Amino acid sequence: MIQDLVIYLLYMGYAIGFMLGLATLFTWVERKQSAVMADRIGANRCYIRLPFTDVKLVAWGLFHGIADGAKMLLKENFTPLTHDRFCYNLAPWLAAAPVLLVFCVVPFGGTLTPGNLLPPLHDFFGDRSYAMQVARLDAGILIVLSLSGIGILGTMLAGWSSNNKFSLMGAARAASQMISYEVSMGLALISLVVTYGTLDLNEMVRWQSGLLFGALPAWGLFTQPLAFMLFLTAAIAENKRVPFDLPECESELVAGYFTEYTAMKMGLFMLSEFIEIVVISALLVTLFLGGYNLPYLTDSGFVFPGGARWALPHLAVVLLQAGTFLGKVFLAGCFMIQIRWSLPRFRYDQLMDFGWKFLLPLATLNLVATACVQWFTLKG
Amino acid sequence: MSGAFIVFFALLAVAFAALVLTQRQPMRAALALIGLMVSLAGIYACLGAHVVAVFQVLIYVGAVMVFMVYTIMLLDERDRSYRQPFSRLGVPALLVAQLVAAAFWSLLGDLPATSPAAAAAIDLFSFKAFSLAFMKQYWLHFELATVLLLVGILAAWTALREGRDG
Repeated sequence: MIQDLVIYLLYMGYAIGFMLGLATLFTWVERKQSAVMADRIGANRCYIRLPFTDVKLVAWGLFHGIADGAKMLLKENFTPLTHDRFCYNLAPWLAAAPVLLVFCVVPFGGTLTPGNLLPPLHDFFGDRSYAMQVARLDAGILIVLSLSGIGILGTMLAGWSSNNKFSLMGAARAASQMISYEVSMGLALISLVVTYGTLDLNEMVRWQSGLLFGALPAWGLFTQPLAFMLFLTAAIAENKRVPFDLPECESELVAGYFTEYTAMKMGLFMLSEFIEIVVISALLVTLFLGGYNLPYLTDSGFVFPGGARWALPHLAVVLLQAGTFLGKVFLAGCFMIQIRWSLPRFRYDQLMDFGWKFLLPLATLNLVATACVQWFTLKG
Repeated sequence: MSGAFIVFFALLAVAFAALVLTQRQPMRAALALIGLMVSLAGIYACLGAHVVAVFQVLIYVGAVMVFMVYTIMLLDERDRSYRQPFSRLGVPALLVAQLVAAAFWSLLGDLPATSPAAAAAIDLFSFKAFSLAFMKQYWLHFELATVLLLVGILAAWTALREGRDG
């Protein structure tokens, strides 16, 4: 009992640190990557001076995230003359909390047997083993979808309670966009569920740990390429980022639904946007890119297609799997930020047309095709 | 342990239900209704019926309440009609509420108070068993519901077209 508590507290700490750390890193990536793409120097003003010396640690502008956080915490908190103070204060939490909760069903590593990590731990943990996942629920993917529904509420509440036309416009746009793209996202996910035959994210990752044609890893990217594209597109639209940033387009709506928020309340909206990048990348990696799987790595070590083996201790395997997941999530997030600096914004009617007349039929077609293939392979 | 959680969520649900009735402001009443649905989902999850809990949040909060909040968001706030203390339908509504309560009370007497039935019911609510039963026994009901939804979509579409012409 106490062992379970220790392990799950560790998992929760790791999950929160994972999300907040990567989200802060992505604010830096967004600045630096845009600078690289626009041939500028980028964020380089923040530094930490070593005490008693003149040595300034710039570290490629990595400290800008810390400066941002300090600024948002210390700024004055302006509040508008709103007609509903309670809803105004509730909205940032309602937008940020579900995003954090989604991560609880995402597996961030393989199976952990704490007793085998180091010899002294064996007395305490015995032979218990845990899946590296905060909540092992067989509803998996459905929980992701249901929590993202609550996130929409926070956005709408923020726009409505700000008592501002820009905010209300932004909220109406955000809600219609998120509802529209959730449909195609759900359909793309259902075709995945049909392929993997499970809703549990951990089972899905295990399914992807096999090999296709003897050498290619059986990742969702190779078995469901169209669903991958659909999910990626719909997920960026759900996150309300360029090219789908109509709800908060600064050239029309100031900042959209969070125009009237200042200081850390605005910071929560910003942070939840970046945490959402982390969570979406984590889902993308889990569903399509093999999760924590490194090709040819099994629980006992590497097994290469030719038959060569390289046994590894349990500690190394656990660290390799967690590190693989971290690296994949980081790369996927960088790719999404790259999209932001590559594509121009849609017009609103184009956005709706794209969602309903292009993505939705494609997602339906993909689902029908997947079901047919599955039917014939099951029968034959 | 889970009994304590059930009591906690039940109290929370009753409190939110009271708030739905007493809040005058539509948005706050809607928020209380969302709270009520989430606490009901909590009760289902404590009972082990994860399917029902997930669908409670997915459908009622994620779909129904999102649309309700969307509508309330676009209401004209200068319309003060919701500030009226009582609707004309207040007395009939109270009477119907009494009837519903009485119906539940009489139903409660008929329920078997044994736990083995409940324990067997939990296995029925694992996702696999639920999906199999859904597709094998209740496929006709499911299809009928989809037909109903199709009729609803057609009705909405026609209403929209009529409105555009006039």
